[in-house]
Amino acid sequence: MGSTLTYLLPGGQVGLAEFRGNAAVPESARTDPFDSGMWPDHRRDFLDDPQDWRHDPALLVLTPPNAEDPGHVPVLVDATALDGPVDRIVVSIDYSPLPKVLVFHPLRALPFLGFGVKYEIGSPLRASVRMADGSWRMGASFVDAAGGGCTAPAAAHSRPDWQQDLGQMRGRIWPAFGRLRLTLRHPMDTGLADGISAHHLTELTLADDAGPIARLEIFEPVEEDPGLTFLLPKGMTGPVRISARDNLGYQFNAEVSA
Amino acid sequence: MILTRRQTLLTGAAAFAAATLPARAARPEYRLHPQEIASGVWLFEGATESFDPKNGGAICNIVMLASHEGAIVIDTGGTARQGAALRAFADQRLGGVAASLNTHHHPDHWFGNQAFADRPIHALPRTRRAQSEDAQVLADGLYRILGSWMNGTTPRPASQDAVAGEMTIGGRELEILALSGHSQADLVVQDRQTGTLIAGDLLFLNRAPSFPDADIPTWASAITTIAQIPASGYVPGHGPYHRDSRAMGQTQHYLSAMDARLRGAANNGLTRIEAMAAGPMPDYAHLGANPQEYQRSVIQRWREYELRALPILGQAG
Ligand SMILES: [Zn+2]
Repeated sequence: MGSTLTYLLPGGQVGLAEFRGNAAVPESARTDPFDSGMWPDHRRDFLDDPQDWRHDPALLVLTPPNAEDPGHVPVLVDATALDGPVDRIVVSIDYSPLPKVLVFHPLRALPFLGFGVKYEIGSPLRASVRMADGSWRMGASFVDAAGGGCTAPAAAHSRPDWQQDLGQMRGRIWPAFGRLRLTLRHPMDTGLADGISAHHLTELTLADDAGPIARLEIFEPVEEDPGLTFLLPKGMTGPVRISARDNLGYQFNAEVSA
Repeated sequence: MILTRRQTLLTGAAAFAAATLPARAARPEYRLHPQEIASGVWLFEGATESFDPKNGGAICNIVMLASHEGAIVIDTGGTARQGAALRAFADQRLGGVAASLNTHHHPDHWFGNQAFADRPIHALPRTRRAQSEDAQVLADGLYRILGSWMNGTTPRPASQDAVAGEMTIGGRELEILALSGHSQADLVVQDRQTGTLIAGDLLFLNRAPSFPDADIPTWASAITTIAQIPASGYVPGHGPYHRDSRAMGQTQHYLSAMDARLRGAANNGLTRIEAMAAGPMPDYAHLGANPQEYQRSVIQRWREYELRALPILGQAG
Protein backbone atom coordinates (compact mmCIF):
# COMPACT_ATOMS: atom_id res chain seq x y z
CA MET A 1 0.00 0.00 0.00
CA GLY A 2 1.46 3.31 -1.07
CA SER A 3 0.88 6.81 0.20
CA THR A 4 -1.50 8.33 -2.32
CA LEU A 5 -4.47 10.38 -1.10
CA THR A 6 -6.87 9.64 -3.95
CA TYR A 7 -9.17 7.95 -1.38
CA LEU A 8 -9.98 11.39 0.02
CA LEU A 9 -12.05 12.16 -3.09
CA PRO A 10 -15.35 10.28 -3.54
CA GLY A 11 -14.77 7.33 -5.87
CA GLY A 12 -11.06 8.09 -5.87
CA GLN A 13 -9.79 4.57 -5.08
CA VAL A 14 -11.81 3.01 -7.89
CA GLY A 15 -10.69 5.80 -10.18
CA LEU A 16 -7.04 5.21 -9.30
CA ALA A 17 -7.32 1.45 -9.89
CA GLU A 18 -8.81 2.06 -13.34
CA PHE A 19 -6.25 4.73 -14.11
CA ARG A 20 -3.38 2.38 -13.21
CA GLY A 21 -5.04 -0.36 -15.19
CA ASN A 22 -3.73 1.35 -18.32
CA ALA A 23 -0.10 0.99 -17.21
CA ALA A 24 2.24 -1.28 -19.18
CA VAL A 25 3.30 -4.48 -17.42
CA PRO A 26 6.70 -5.93 -18.36
CA GLU A 27 6.85 -9.56 -19.53
CA SER A 28 9.55 -10.19 -16.99
CA ALA A 29 11.25 -8.06 -14.38
CA ARG A 30 14.24 -7.50 -16.68
CA THR A 31 12.44 -6.54 -19.88
CA ASP A 32 11.32 -3.10 -20.92
CA PRO A 33 7.54 -3.04 -21.46
CA PHE A 34 8.02 -0.16 -23.91
CA ASP A 35 10.85 -1.81 -25.84
CA SER A 36 12.56 1.56 -25.98
CA GLY A 37 15.91 2.03 -27.70
CA MET A 38 17.07 4.75 -25.33
CA TRP A 39 16.57 2.91 -22.07
CA PRO A 40 19.84 0.91 -22.17
CA ASP A 41 21.73 4.15 -22.97
CA HIS A 42 20.13 6.03 -20.12
CA ARG A 43 20.77 3.15 -17.74
CA ARG A 44 24.42 3.41 -18.66
CA ASP A 45 24.65 7.23 -18.65
CA PHE A 46 22.43 8.18 -15.72
CA LEU A 47 22.67 5.12 -13.45
CA ASP A 48 26.25 3.94 -14.04
CA ASP A 49 25.06 0.80 -15.83
CA PRO A 50 23.86 -1.25 -12.85
CA GLN A 51 23.68 -5.02 -13.29
CA ASP A 52 21.25 -5.61 -10.44
CA TRP A 53 18.00 -4.03 -11.63
CA ARG A 54 14.40 -5.13 -12.04
CA HIS A 55 10.90 -3.81 -12.47
CA ASP A 56 8.95 -3.66 -9.25
CA PRO A 57 5.16 -3.39 -9.32
CA ALA A 58 5.26 -1.89 -5.80
CA LEU A 59 6.85 1.24 -7.28
CA LEU A 60 4.08 3.62 -8.31
CA VAL A 61 4.74 5.91 -11.28
CA LEU A 62 1.68 7.94 -12.20
CA THR A 63 1.45 10.10 -15.32
CA PRO A 64 -1.45 11.17 -17.52
CA PRO A 65 -1.94 9.14 -20.72
CA ASN A 66 -1.27 12.24 -22.79
CA ALA A 67 0.26 15.66 -22.32
CA GLU A 68 -2.76 17.95 -22.37
CA ASP A 69 -0.30 20.76 -21.59
CA PRO A 70 3.20 19.66 -22.72
CA GLY A 71 4.80 22.29 -20.49
CA HIS A 72 3.16 20.87 -17.37
CA VAL A 73 2.84 17.10 -17.32
CA PRO A 74 2.14 15.98 -13.74
CA VAL A 75 4.02 13.01 -12.31
CA LEU A 76 3.94 11.15 -9.02
CA VAL A 77 6.63 8.69 -7.95
CA ASP A 78 5.76 6.76 -4.82
CA ALA A 79 8.44 4.31 -3.65
CA THR A 80 7.12 4.06 -0.09
CA ALA A 81 5.80 0.52 -0.65
CA LEU A 82 9.19 -0.91 -1.72
CA ASP A 83 10.77 -3.32 0.75
CA GLY A 84 13.81 -1.59 2.15
CA PRO A 85 15.26 1.88 2.45
CA VAL A 86 15.72 4.01 -0.66
CA ASP A 87 18.95 5.84 -1.42
CA ARG A 88 17.88 7.92 -4.43
CA ILE A 89 15.41 8.17 -7.30
CA VAL A 90 16.48 9.14 -10.83
CA VAL A 91 13.76 10.35 -13.20
CA SER A 92 14.34 10.36 -16.96
CA ILE A 93 12.32 10.63 -20.16
CA ASP A 94 13.43 8.22 -22.91
CA TYR A 95 12.67 10.33 -25.96
CA SER A 96 13.31 13.92 -25.05
CA PRO A 97 15.89 16.44 -26.23
CA LEU A 98 16.63 16.74 -22.48
CA PRO A 99 16.19 13.25 -21.05
CA LYS A 100 17.46 13.76 -17.50
CA VAL A 101 14.75 15.28 -15.28
CA LEU A 102 15.85 15.10 -11.66
CA VAL A 103 17.61 13.11 -8.97
CA PHE A 104 15.81 12.88 -5.65
CA HIS A 105 17.72 12.09 -2.46
CA PRO A 106 15.02 11.43 0.17
CA LEU A 107 17.47 11.45 3.11
CA ARG A 108 15.10 11.71 6.12
CA ALA A 109 11.96 12.26 4.02
CA LEU A 110 9.96 9.39 2.53
CA PRO A 111 10.73 8.20 -1.01
CA PHE A 112 7.76 10.01 -2.51
CA LEU A 113 7.78 12.96 -4.92
CA GLY A 114 5.11 14.83 -6.85
CA PHE A 115 6.34 17.15 -9.61
CA GLY A 116 5.76 18.30 -13.20
CA VAL A 117 7.79 17.87 -16.38
CA LYS A 118 7.98 19.20 -19.93
CA TYR A 119 7.38 16.86 -22.83
CA GLU A 120 8.43 17.16 -26.44
CA ILE A 121 7.28 13.87 -27.97
CA GLY A 122 5.49 10.74 -26.86
CA SER A 123 7.79 8.75 -24.57
CA PRO A 124 8.03 6.61 -21.48
CA LEU A 125 9.01 8.39 -18.28
CA ARG A 126 11.20 6.31 -15.95
CA ALA A 127 11.70 6.33 -12.23
CA SER A 128 14.81 4.35 -11.28
CA VAL A 129 15.13 3.75 -7.57
CA ARG A 130 18.47 2.90 -6.01
CA MET A 131 17.91 0.92 -2.84
CA ALA A 132 20.25 1.25 0.14
CA ASP A 133 21.67 -2.21 -0.70
CA GLY A 134 22.78 -0.95 -4.12
CA SER A 135 20.15 -2.75 -6.20
CA TRP A 136 17.82 -0.83 -8.55
CA ARG A 137 14.03 -0.95 -8.93
CA MET A 138 12.36 0.39 -12.03
CA GLY A 139 8.98 1.83 -12.85
CA ALA A 140 7.75 3.60 -15.98
CA SER A 141 4.70 5.18 -17.54
CA PHE A 142 4.01 6.34 -21.08
CA VAL A 143 2.90 9.87 -21.95
CA ASP A 144 1.79 10.80 -25.44
CA ALA A 145 2.69 14.35 -26.44
CA ALA A 146 2.42 16.66 -29.42
CA GLY A 147 5.52 18.79 -28.91
CA GLY A 148 6.29 22.23 -27.61
CA GLY A 149 7.12 21.35 -24.01
CA CYS A 150 10.89 21.82 -24.13
CA THR A 151 11.27 24.15 -27.10
CA ALA A 152 8.62 26.79 -26.36
CA PRO A 153 9.66 29.94 -24.48
CA ALA A 154 8.60 30.08 -20.83
CA ALA A 155 5.24 31.77 -20.28
CA ALA A 156 7.05 34.14 -17.90
CA HIS A 157 8.58 35.98 -20.85
CA SER A 158 5.18 37.22 -21.96
CA ARG A 159 5.20 39.47 -18.86
CA PRO A 160 7.76 42.29 -18.93
CA ASP A 161 7.98 42.25 -15.12
CA TRP A 162 8.44 38.49 -14.69
CA GLN A 163 11.72 38.93 -12.82
CA GLN A 164 9.92 40.73 -9.97
CA ASP A 165 8.53 37.54 -8.50
CA LEU A 166 11.37 35.26 -9.57
CA GLY A 167 11.89 32.79 -6.76
CA GLN A 168 8.64 33.58 -4.95
CA MET A 169 7.63 30.49 -3.02
CA ARG A 170 4.25 29.27 -1.86
CA GLY A 171 3.82 26.28 0.38
CA ARG A 172 1.95 24.44 3.06
CA ILE A 173 2.41 21.46 5.38
CA TRP A 174 -0.43 19.01 6.05
CA PRO A 175 0.67 17.30 9.30
CA ALA A 176 -2.16 14.73 9.11
CA PHE A 177 -0.71 13.37 5.88
CA GLY A 178 2.93 14.36 6.40
CA ARG A 179 2.85 16.29 3.16
CA LEU A 180 4.72 19.40 2.16
CA ARG A 181 3.68 21.09 -1.07
CA LEU A 182 5.62 24.01 -2.47
CA THR A 183 5.70 26.01 -5.67
CA LEU A 184 8.52 28.27 -6.79
CA ARG A 185 8.30 30.96 -9.47
CA HIS A 186 10.99 30.22 -12.05
CA PRO A 187 10.99 30.29 -15.87
CA MET A 188 12.97 27.03 -16.10
CA ASP A 189 14.27 28.04 -19.54
CA THR A 190 15.73 25.01 -21.27
CA GLY A 191 17.95 26.96 -23.67
CA LEU A 192 16.11 25.34 -26.60
CA ALA A 193 13.69 28.21 -27.28
CA ASP A 194 14.84 30.74 -29.87
CA GLY A 195 16.75 33.65 -28.36
CA ILE A 196 16.42 32.58 -24.71
CA SER A 197 19.40 31.09 -22.91
CA ALA A 198 19.14 28.36 -20.31
CA HIS A 199 17.97 29.56 -16.91
CA HIS A 200 16.83 26.80 -14.62
CA LEU A 201 16.95 25.59 -11.05
CA THR A 202 19.76 23.18 -10.28
CA GLU A 203 19.17 22.27 -6.65
CA LEU A 204 16.58 22.42 -3.90
CA THR A 205 17.00 21.35 -0.28
CA LEU A 206 14.61 20.97 2.66
CA ALA A 207 16.18 21.29 6.10
CA ASP A 208 15.41 21.88 9.75
CA ASP A 209 17.58 22.44 12.82
CA ALA A 210 18.65 18.80 12.72
CA GLY A 211 20.05 19.23 9.19
CA PRO A 212 18.96 18.35 5.65
CA ILE A 213 15.62 16.56 5.27
CA ALA A 214 15.66 15.93 1.51
CA ARG A 215 17.61 17.10 -1.51
CA LEU A 216 16.77 17.43 -5.20
CA GLU A 217 19.08 17.80 -8.20
CA ILE A 218 17.00 19.57 -10.83
CA PHE A 219 17.47 19.66 -14.61
CA GLU A 220 15.90 21.60 -17.49
CA PRO A 221 12.84 19.38 -18.16
CA VAL A 222 11.23 20.20 -14.80
CA GLU A 223 8.17 22.39 -15.46
CA GLU A 224 8.09 26.20 -15.34
CA ASP A 225 7.09 27.45 -11.87
CA PRO A 226 7.79 24.02 -10.42
CA GLY A 227 5.36 22.49 -7.97
CA LEU A 228 6.81 19.82 -5.67
CA THR A 229 5.20 17.52 -3.11
CA PHE A 230 7.26 15.76 -0.43
CA LEU A 231 6.40 13.37 2.40
CA LEU A 232 8.07 14.60 5.58
CA PRO A 233 9.23 12.34 8.39
CA LYS A 234 6.32 11.39 10.67
CA GLY A 235 5.09 14.12 12.99
CA MET A 236 7.18 16.92 11.48
CA THR A 237 5.29 20.21 11.50
CA GLY A 238 8.18 22.56 10.76
CA PRO A 239 9.57 25.03 10.53
CA VAL A 240 11.13 23.55 7.38
CA ARG A 241 13.62 25.72 5.54
CA ILE A 242 13.58 25.53 1.76
CA SER A 243 16.63 26.66 -0.17
CA ALA A 244 17.14 26.53 -3.91
CA ARG A 245 19.65 27.79 -6.43
CA ASP A 246 19.78 28.13 -10.19
CA ASN A 247 22.41 27.95 -12.93
CA LEU A 248 22.88 31.75 -12.93
CA GLY A 249 23.79 31.80 -9.25
CA TYR A 250 20.50 33.08 -7.83
CA GLN A 251 19.60 31.72 -4.38
CA PHE A 252 16.06 31.40 -3.08
CA ASN A 253 15.15 30.76 0.55
CA ALA A 254 11.87 30.41 2.40
CA GLU A 255 10.40 28.80 5.46
CA VAL A 256 7.19 26.85 5.98
CA SER A 257 5.40 25.61 9.11
CA ALA A 258 2.18 23.72 9.67
CA MET B 1 18.27 17.69 -31.01
CA ILE B 2 15.49 20.24 -31.45
CA LEU B 3 12.28 18.95 -32.93
CA THR B 4 9.74 21.11 -34.68
CA ARG B 5 6.08 20.31 -34.39
CA ARG B 6 5.98 18.73 -37.82
CA GLN B 7 9.05 16.60 -37.21
CA THR B 8 7.50 15.56 -33.95
CA LEU B 9 4.44 14.37 -35.79
CA LEU B 10 6.58 12.37 -38.16
CA THR B 11 9.02 10.86 -35.69
CA GLY B 12 7.36 10.68 -32.28
CA ALA B 13 3.89 9.79 -33.43
CA ALA B 14 5.13 7.30 -35.98
CA ALA B 15 7.52 5.63 -33.57
CA PHE B 16 4.99 5.03 -30.82
CA ALA B 17 1.50 5.35 -32.17
CA ALA B 18 1.81 3.34 -35.37
CA ALA B 19 0.87 0.05 -33.80
CA THR B 20 -2.14 1.45 -31.98
CA LEU B 21 -3.70 3.71 -34.62
CA PRO B 22 -7.24 2.58 -35.29
CA ALA B 23 -8.02 1.45 -38.79
CA ARG B 24 -9.55 4.22 -40.88
CA ALA B 25 -11.86 4.13 -43.83
CA ALA B 26 -9.98 4.91 -47.03
CA ARG B 27 -12.21 7.95 -47.65
CA PRO B 28 -13.68 9.23 -44.42
CA GLU B 29 -17.17 10.61 -45.01
CA TYR B 30 -19.53 12.63 -42.88
CA ARG B 31 -23.02 11.22 -42.69
CA LEU B 32 -25.48 13.89 -41.67
CA HIS B 33 -28.68 13.11 -39.81
CA PRO B 34 -30.53 16.40 -39.68
CA GLN B 35 -33.68 16.61 -37.61
CA GLU B 36 -36.26 19.39 -37.92
CA ILE B 37 -36.80 20.11 -34.23
CA ALA B 38 -39.11 23.11 -34.79
CA SER B 39 -40.52 24.83 -37.85
CA GLY B 40 -37.54 25.66 -40.07
CA VAL B 41 -35.02 24.72 -37.34
CA TRP B 42 -32.67 21.91 -38.38
CA LEU B 43 -30.37 20.24 -35.87
CA PHE B 44 -27.27 18.24 -36.81
CA GLU B 45 -26.47 16.51 -33.54
CA GLY B 46 -22.80 15.89 -32.68
CA ALA B 47 -21.38 12.75 -31.09
CA THR B 48 -21.21 13.08 -27.28
CA GLU B 49 -17.54 12.11 -27.23
CA SER B 50 -14.12 13.75 -27.48
CA PHE B 51 -12.40 14.37 -30.80
CA ASP B 52 -11.67 10.97 -32.26
CA PRO B 53 -10.99 9.50 -35.70
CA LYS B 54 -14.17 7.48 -35.17
CA ASN B 55 -16.31 10.63 -35.19
CA GLY B 56 -14.21 12.77 -37.53
CA GLY B 57 -14.43 15.65 -35.06
CA ALA B 58 -18.19 15.99 -35.63
CA ILE B 59 -18.86 16.40 -31.92
CA CYS B 60 -20.78 19.65 -31.53
CA ASN B 61 -24.35 20.51 -32.40
CA ILE B 62 -24.97 22.54 -35.54
CA VAL B 63 -28.22 24.35 -36.24
CA MET B 64 -29.60 25.74 -39.48
CA LEU B 65 -32.54 28.13 -39.51
CA ALA B 66 -34.46 28.44 -42.76
CA SER B 67 -34.90 31.99 -44.07
CA HIS B 68 -36.04 33.36 -47.40
CA GLU B 69 -32.42 34.12 -48.28
CA GLY B 70 -31.23 30.63 -47.37
CA ALA B 71 -29.91 28.96 -44.24
CA ILE B 72 -28.68 30.80 -41.16
CA VAL B 73 -25.95 28.42 -40.02
CA ILE B 74 -25.07 28.38 -36.33
CA ASP B 75 -21.60 26.82 -35.99
CA THR B 76 -19.98 25.12 -38.95
CA GLY B 77 -18.37 21.90 -37.68
CA GLY B 78 -14.83 20.81 -36.94
CA THR B 79 -13.23 20.25 -40.36
CA ALA B 80 -13.38 21.64 -43.90
CA ARG B 81 -15.06 18.46 -45.10
CA GLN B 82 -17.71 18.54 -42.41
CA GLY B 83 -18.35 22.16 -43.38
CA ALA B 84 -18.66 21.12 -47.02
CA ALA B 85 -21.17 18.40 -46.18
CA LEU B 86 -23.23 20.89 -44.20
CA ARG B 87 -23.02 23.41 -47.03
CA ALA B 88 -24.33 20.82 -49.48
CA PHE B 89 -27.39 20.30 -47.29
CA ALA B 90 -28.01 24.06 -47.08
CA ASP B 91 -27.66 24.44 -50.84
CA GLN B 92 -29.87 21.48 -51.71
CA ARG B 93 -32.57 21.81 -49.07
CA LEU B 94 -32.62 25.37 -47.75
CA GLY B 95 -31.89 27.44 -50.84
CA GLY B 96 -28.27 28.23 -50.07
CA VAL B 97 -26.69 30.12 -47.17
CA ALA B 98 -27.73 33.56 -45.94
CA ALA B 99 -25.11 33.90 -43.16
CA SER B 100 -23.32 31.94 -40.46
CA LEU B 101 -22.59 32.54 -36.79
CA ASN B 102 -19.83 31.03 -34.65
CA THR B 103 -20.90 30.63 -31.02
CA HIS B 104 -17.29 30.66 -29.70
CA HIS B 105 -13.69 29.93 -30.68
CA HIS B 106 -13.32 26.22 -29.90
CA PRO B 107 -12.41 24.43 -33.12
CA ASP B 108 -15.24 21.88 -33.25
CA HIS B 109 -17.61 24.84 -33.72
CA TRP B 110 -15.94 26.77 -36.54
CA PHE B 111 -13.25 24.85 -38.45
CA GLY B 112 -15.89 24.25 -41.14
CA ASN B 113 -16.06 28.02 -41.89
CA GLN B 114 -14.23 27.58 -45.19
CA ALA B 115 -17.36 26.14 -46.79
CA PHE B 116 -19.36 29.24 -45.79
CA ALA B 117 -16.77 31.95 -46.42
CA ASP B 118 -18.57 33.37 -49.48
CA ARG B 119 -21.29 34.66 -47.15
CA PRO B 120 -20.96 36.74 -43.95
CA ILE B 121 -19.75 34.84 -40.87
CA HIS B 122 -20.55 36.56 -37.57
CA ALA B 123 -18.90 36.07 -34.18
CA LEU B 124 -18.39 38.15 -31.05
CA PRO B 125 -15.26 40.38 -31.29
CA ARG B 126 -13.33 38.40 -28.65
CA THR B 127 -14.18 35.17 -30.42
CA ARG B 128 -12.84 36.57 -33.69
CA ARG B 129 -9.62 37.62 -31.95
CA ALA B 130 -9.21 34.19 -30.33
CA GLN B 131 -9.92 32.50 -33.67
CA SER B 132 -7.05 34.42 -35.26
CA GLU B 133 -4.62 33.97 -32.38
CA ASP B 134 -5.22 30.29 -31.63
CA ALA B 135 -5.99 28.85 -35.06
CA GLN B 136 -2.55 27.39 -35.72
CA VAL B 137 -2.17 25.65 -32.37
CA LEU B 138 -5.72 24.33 -32.50
CA ALA B 139 -5.23 23.08 -36.07
CA ASP B 140 -1.93 21.35 -35.20
CA GLY B 141 -3.67 19.52 -32.37
CA LEU B 142 -6.59 18.44 -34.54
CA TYR B 143 -4.44 17.25 -37.43
CA ARG B 144 -2.68 15.04 -34.95
CA ILE B 145 -5.87 13.59 -33.48
CA LEU B 146 -8.10 13.39 -36.55
CA GLY B 147 -5.55 12.71 -39.28
CA SER B 148 -7.01 12.61 -42.80
CA TRP B 149 -10.41 13.88 -41.65
CA MET B 150 -8.68 17.26 -41.35
CA ASN B 151 -7.25 17.27 -44.87
CA GLY B 152 -7.71 20.62 -46.56
CA THR B 153 -8.78 22.39 -43.38
CA THR B 154 -7.45 25.95 -43.12
CA PRO B 155 -9.11 27.76 -40.23
CA ARG B 156 -11.04 30.83 -41.43
CA PRO B 157 -11.98 33.23 -38.62
CA ALA B 158 -15.38 34.89 -38.74
CA SER B 159 -15.57 37.98 -40.96
CA GLN B 160 -18.09 40.17 -39.07
CA ASP B 161 -18.62 41.34 -35.51
CA ALA B 162 -21.79 39.97 -33.98
CA VAL B 163 -23.64 42.47 -31.80
CA ALA B 164 -25.95 41.65 -28.91
CA GLY B 165 -29.61 42.44 -29.54
CA GLU B 166 -32.01 41.90 -32.41
CA MET B 167 -30.72 40.67 -35.73
CA THR B 168 -32.86 39.90 -38.76
CA ILE B 169 -31.53 37.75 -41.57
CA GLY B 170 -33.65 36.81 -44.56
CA GLY B 171 -36.76 37.79 -42.64
CA ARG B 172 -35.92 35.50 -39.72
CA GLU B 173 -35.72 37.43 -36.45
CA LEU B 174 -33.06 36.42 -33.97
CA GLU B 175 -32.13 37.62 -30.51
CA ILE B 176 -28.37 37.56 -29.93
CA LEU B 177 -26.92 37.36 -26.40
CA ALA B 178 -23.27 38.07 -25.68
CA LEU B 179 -22.28 36.03 -22.63
CA SER B 180 -19.08 34.35 -21.40
CA GLY B 181 -17.79 31.76 -18.95
CA HIS B 182 -17.30 28.66 -21.08
CA SER B 183 -14.95 30.80 -23.15
CA GLN B 184 -14.10 34.50 -23.12
CA ALA B 185 -17.05 35.16 -25.45
CA ASP B 186 -20.06 32.87 -25.78
CA LEU B 187 -22.79 33.78 -28.22
CA VAL B 188 -26.33 32.53 -27.60
CA VAL B 189 -29.07 32.76 -30.24
CA GLN B 190 -32.81 32.63 -29.79
CA ASP B 191 -35.03 32.12 -32.80
CA ARG B 192 -38.03 34.45 -32.35
CA GLN B 193 -40.33 32.47 -34.64
CA THR B 194 -40.13 29.19 -32.72
CA GLY B 195 -38.66 30.22 -29.36
CA THR B 196 -35.77 27.77 -29.82
CA LEU B 197 -32.73 28.76 -27.80
CA ILE B 198 -29.33 27.75 -29.21
CA ALA B 199 -27.00 27.91 -26.25
CA GLY B 200 -23.58 26.99 -27.66
CA ASP B 201 -21.27 25.43 -25.08
CA LEU B 202 -22.81 27.28 -22.14
CA LEU B 203 -25.03 24.18 -21.96
CA PHE B 204 -23.98 20.53 -22.11
CA LEU B 205 -26.31 17.55 -21.74
CA ASN B 206 -25.15 13.97 -21.08
CA ARG B 207 -21.64 14.97 -22.15
CA ALA B 208 -18.95 16.19 -19.75
CA PRO B 209 -18.45 19.97 -20.06
CA SER B 210 -15.05 21.07 -21.31
CA PHE B 211 -12.98 23.62 -19.41
CA PRO B 212 -10.00 24.81 -21.47
CA ASP B 213 -11.06 28.47 -21.15
CA ALA B 214 -13.64 28.18 -18.41
CA ASP B 215 -14.32 30.67 -15.66
CA ILE B 216 -16.69 28.76 -13.41
CA PRO B 217 -18.47 31.64 -11.59
CA THR B 218 -18.96 33.57 -14.85
CA TRP B 219 -20.22 30.44 -16.57
CA ALA B 220 -22.66 29.73 -13.74
CA SER B 221 -24.08 33.25 -13.93
CA ALA B 222 -24.44 32.95 -17.72
CA ILE B 223 -26.61 29.87 -17.17
CA THR B 224 -28.69 31.84 -14.68
CA THR B 225 -29.21 34.46 -17.39
CA ILE B 226 -30.29 31.81 -19.88
CA ALA B 227 -32.67 30.29 -17.35
CA GLN B 228 -34.60 33.56 -17.18
CA ILE B 229 -35.39 33.55 -20.90
CA PRO B 230 -38.66 31.84 -21.83
CA ALA B 231 -37.88 29.27 -24.53
CA SER B 232 -39.72 26.47 -26.31
CA GLY B 233 -36.66 24.22 -26.36
CA TYR B 234 -32.89 24.18 -25.97
CA VAL B 235 -30.05 23.13 -28.22
CA PRO B 236 -26.97 22.63 -26.01
CA GLY B 237 -23.49 22.82 -27.53
CA HIS B 238 -23.18 19.08 -26.97
CA GLY B 239 -26.02 16.65 -26.28
CA PRO B 240 -29.63 16.20 -27.35
CA TYR B 241 -32.28 18.84 -28.03
CA HIS B 242 -34.73 19.03 -25.13
CA ARG B 243 -37.63 21.16 -23.93
CA ASP B 244 -37.00 21.36 -20.19
CA SER B 245 -34.37 22.66 -17.76
CA ARG B 246 -32.28 19.47 -17.80
CA ALA B 247 -29.13 20.88 -19.43
CA MET B 248 -29.22 24.03 -17.31
CA GLY B 249 -29.47 21.93 -14.16
CA GLN B 250 -26.90 19.36 -15.21
CA THR B 251 -24.34 21.91 -16.38
CA GLN B 252 -24.78 24.03 -13.24
CA HIS B 253 -24.38 20.98 -11.00
CA TYR B 254 -21.36 19.73 -12.91
CA LEU B 255 -19.68 23.13 -12.59
CA SER B 256 -20.19 23.27 -8.85
CA ALA B 257 -19.21 19.61 -8.36
CA MET B 258 -16.02 20.14 -10.38
CA ASP B 259 -15.25 23.28 -8.41
CA ALA B 260 -15.77 21.44 -5.11
CA ARG B 261 -13.65 18.48 -6.21
CA LEU B 262 -10.68 20.58 -7.29
CA ARG B 263 -10.93 22.78 -4.20
CA GLY B 264 -11.09 19.70 -1.99
CA ALA B 265 -8.13 18.11 -3.73
CA ALA B 266 -5.95 21.22 -3.48
CA ASN B 267 -6.93 21.94 0.12
CA ASN B 268 -6.15 18.38 1.24
CA GLY B 269 -2.69 18.43 -0.29
CA LEU B 270 -3.34 16.10 -3.21
CA THR B 271 -1.05 16.38 -6.20
CA ARG B 272 -2.43 17.23 -9.66
CA ILE B 273 -1.96 13.69 -10.87
CA GLU B 274 -3.76 12.24 -7.85
CA ALA B 275 -6.70 14.58 -8.48
CA MET B 276 -6.67 13.40 -12.07
CA ALA B 277 -6.24 9.68 -11.34
CA ALA B 278 -9.10 9.76 -8.83
CA GLY B 279 -11.38 10.24 -11.83
CA PRO B 280 -14.54 12.27 -12.24
CA MET B 281 -17.17 12.83 -9.58
CA PRO B 282 -19.00 9.46 -9.32
CA ASP B 283 -22.36 11.01 -10.27
CA TYR B 284 -20.87 12.19 -13.57
CA ALA B 285 -18.56 9.33 -14.49
CA HIS B 286 -21.11 8.03 -17.00
CA LEU B 287 -21.29 11.25 -19.01
CA GLY B 288 -20.03 11.16 -22.59
CA ALA B 289 -16.32 12.04 -22.97
CA ASN B 290 -15.53 11.15 -19.35
CA PRO B 291 -13.07 10.36 -17.79
CA GLN B 292 -10.99 12.00 -20.53
CA GLU B 293 -12.72 15.39 -20.26
CA TYR B 294 -12.37 15.34 -16.48
CA GLN B 295 -8.66 14.55 -16.81
CA ARG B 296 -8.15 17.44 -19.23
CA SER B 297 -10.06 19.77 -16.92
CA VAL B 298 -7.77 18.95 -13.98
CA ILE B 299 -4.70 19.89 -16.03
CA GLN B 300 -6.33 23.03 -17.37
CA ARG B 301 -7.68 24.38 -14.08
CA TRP B 302 -5.34 23.00 -11.37
CA ARG B 303 -3.08 26.02 -10.93
CA GLU B 304 -5.92 28.35 -9.94
CA TYR B 305 -6.96 26.02 -7.13
CA GLU B 306 -3.44 25.41 -5.98
CA LEU B 307 -2.67 29.14 -5.80
CA ARG B 308 -5.63 29.59 -3.46
CA ALA B 309 -4.58 26.63 -1.29
CA LEU B 310 -0.93 27.66 -0.85
CA PRO B 311 0.06 30.84 1.01
CA ILE B 312 3.11 32.84 -0.03
CA LEU B 313 6.04 31.92 2.22
CA GLY B 314 8.30 34.33 4.03
CA GLN B 315 12.06 34.34 3.80
CA ALA B 316 13.92 31.73 5.81
CA GLY B 317 15.20 33.24 9.03
ZN1 LIG C 1 -16.47 24.83 -26.50
